[in-house]
Amino acid sequence: MSTTDRKLELERKKAKLQALREEKDRRRREKEQKDAEEALQRASNASSLDSRRDLDEMLSSLGVAPVKDVLSSLSSMTSLTPPQTASPDASLPHTDKSSLPSHGTPKKPPQLQVVSVQSTDIPPKENVTYAKQTQTTTSGVTELRDGYMEDWLRPRKAHAADYYDEYNLNPGLEWEDEFTGEDEEAAFHGKLPPGILPHGLPTVKEVQPAVTATPHEKKEEEKEKKIRELSNDEKQTIMLSAEFQKFISKAGRVIERALAEEVDIYTDYTGGGDNENAQDDKSAARLSLVRTFYDERWSRGRCVTCVDWSSAHPELMLASYHNSDDAPHDPDGVCLIWNTKFKKTTPEDIFHCQSPVMSATFAKFHQNLILGGTYSGQIVLWDNRVQKRTPIQRSPLSSLAHTHPVYCLSVVGSQNAHNLISVSTDGRMCSWSLDMMSQPQETLELQHRQSKAVAVTSMGFPHGDVNNFVLGSEDGNVYTGCRHGQRAGVSECVEAHAGPVTAVSCHAAAGPLDLSHLYLTASMDWSVKLWSLKENKALYSFEDSGDYVSDARWSPVHPALFAAVDAHGRLDLWNLNRDTEVPIASITSQDGVAFNRVSWSPNGSLLTAGDDAGKIWVYELAEQVHQPRHDEWTKLVYTLQELRNNQLDEETDRLSVTSGPPSLGSLTSLSSNPLR
Amino acid sequence: MANEAEETIRKLSQHKGVVGVVVVNGEGIPIKTTLDNHVSVQYAGLLSALVDKAKSVVRDLDPTNDLTFLRIRSKKSEVMVAPDKDFILIVVQNPVE
Repeated sequence: MSTTDRKLELERKKAKLQALREEKDRRRREKEQKDAEEALQRASNASSLDSRRDLDEMLSSLGVAPVKDVLSSLSSMTSLTPPQTASPDASLPHTDKSSLPSHGTPKKPPQLQVVSVQSTDIPPKENVTYAKQTQTTTSGVTELRDGYMEDWLRPRKAHAADYYDEYNLNPGLEWEDEFTGEDEEAAFHGKLPPGILPHGLPTVKEVQPAVTATPHEKKEEEKEKKIRELSNDEKQTIMLSAEFQKFISKAGRVIERALAEEVDIYTDYTGGGDNENAQDDKSAARLSLVRTFYDERWSRGRCVTCVDWSSAHPELMLASYHNSDDAPHDPDGVCLIWNTKFKKTTPEDIFHCQSPVMSATFAKFHQNLILGGTYSGQIVLWDNRVQKRTPIQRSPLSSLAHTHPVYCLSVVGSQNAHNLISVSTDGRMCSWSLDMMSQPQETLELQHRQSKAVAVTSMGFPHGDVNNFVLGSEDGNVYTGCRHGQRAGVSECVEAHAGPVTAVSCHAAAGPLDLSHLYLTASMDWSVKLWSLKENKALYSFEDSGDYVSDARWSPVHPALFAAVDAHGRLDLWNLNRDTEVPIASITSQDGVAFNRVSWSPNGSLLTAGDDAGKIWVYELAEQVHQPRHDEWTKLVYTLQELRNNQLDEETDRLSVTSGPPSLGSLTSLSSNPLR
Repeated sequence: MANEAEETIRKLSQHKGVVGVVVVNGEGIPIKTTLDNHVSVQYAGLLSALVDKAKSVVRDLDPTNDLTFLRIRSKKSEVMVAPDKDFILIVVQNPVE
């Protein structure tokens, strides 16, 4: 508070005091006036008394009691009450006074006037109490103290009536009267002089919480009584209610995330620096295991069949699982949604269906829907908004749709025009509208040269393309084709691998140069091959693995980076711009499991590998590994050119070295290659 | 469906460091608990009163706001409270070393 404020306040108080003094003076003057009038009245009364005396003489002569005695007996009866019932009302004392002198000696008006002069001594006392009041009100008295204010204002009121003391023969009696019948506190303070009263403030405060505390105790007692009333049946009915289910699943999730939080908000950096050393070790590694996703009941012993990431919530990962021999009573097909953001160990959502889920995907433009392709051929649809783990919709098992396992499932198109594409191993491709799962919008028989159906095991759409596709098949061939147009269906076939193709991955990192024609295939022949849609010959074959290569995926952000996993439990990370002979990083799982699927997080910083025992291993990539530099795209083009040149050199070398009967196959490949 | 609720509670109670899980209804009565009866009743009564108070604090500050979560960290343990319209989920956790 500034000094000017203080000055202003002081001045205000002074003005108030001044006003009060003036008021008091005015009252005193009025009183004096009244006294004078009363004196006059009494004088006239005295004269009337004289006449009364004459009457008395007359009455006594007649044997009747004199008027004076009768009046005194009457007034003694009434005079008992007035002091007790004395009120601040100004009209009452007047009647008292008029009756008082009647039984006293009537000839003493001058003495009364002397008493009235004495009353002028009292006002200074009033000043003290009033000053206290202004202090309390201006210093921000809270609502709580209102009750108290009343308490100590009451004695002040009594004090204000002090000037009536002049007529009261016993002022002490009136003090007592004022405080009888008040509540306890006031009675307690009443024993103190009025000036000390305000210092009782703290005692009043203490009383307040005690009052509020008692109802709480009562409440708890009531609750304890109620608990006895709630039987097990009642609890069961509550637990079965939909609200309870909803609450538990919601609150449980939140609590779980909170529990899994490992951030110690009480970290003290003034201590030792052990943590920093650990961090250094981590950043040095290009590929490090950060966590695993595993659920004792729902994923144990189940092979991971497919992994997908949500586009709406990039931290959510969808994994589908095959059936487990250990859990014959549980549903065969399971889909779990894992959260990479929170460190909790349980899945975000659990979904299941009766048939093993071979492929699963988030419905790209419907963030709540999850789609699954099953072994039986059904397409199932789950919704994470409903408290239901079973599919909310499923396609019928009919000849119109799939009757063979669906290994490929993908949502293609834009926000306003998209379809779900599914391919089964009998070579049937269906496109669906998510609004109508009762039957496919289109079906396409995938056959090569009208001979036999293509046993599709994997499918890929080039980046940004909805029409052309690449298929990997059980017979080791790779087929390309298109969905629409006159030549809808499979158009070309390449003898790609010596074993079934396990994965097809189209180049995913869009950049300054269009490389969407590139794709990778992985096969059980222990190799991964790099292809271009523009050529029907492999650009390169990566043959570093010593087991079935089960999956290969391009990085979504880095143009030259891809990951491959094999049945030996090895995860390889390749960067074509660095080295094409050996992977830049390689890691082998500790448990001796076989990896079945590999997948990149949408920002390219995490790699997940699903194994055949139901565990998903999450690896973190060092930033310098997964973040592309701006020249990586042009560099990759050079690398590809180099690969082609090497291939040519090899071919010519082989021709010159063998120089015997030239094989027909090598000749044709030579002639076709440079032209493209 | 009751299994799922049980499963969630079991899952929470088995989490490392968790001492107990109590589900309380709107009147402060424990519906489901992993602690013994006396302690559950105590937690239920005290925390539902605290939740009511905290709720009114949040709503008084901003009438369009509502309480969603409450964490009480103490020297010996941490209590996490997830309040809702009709129920309160309480998890008592010992600090992780």
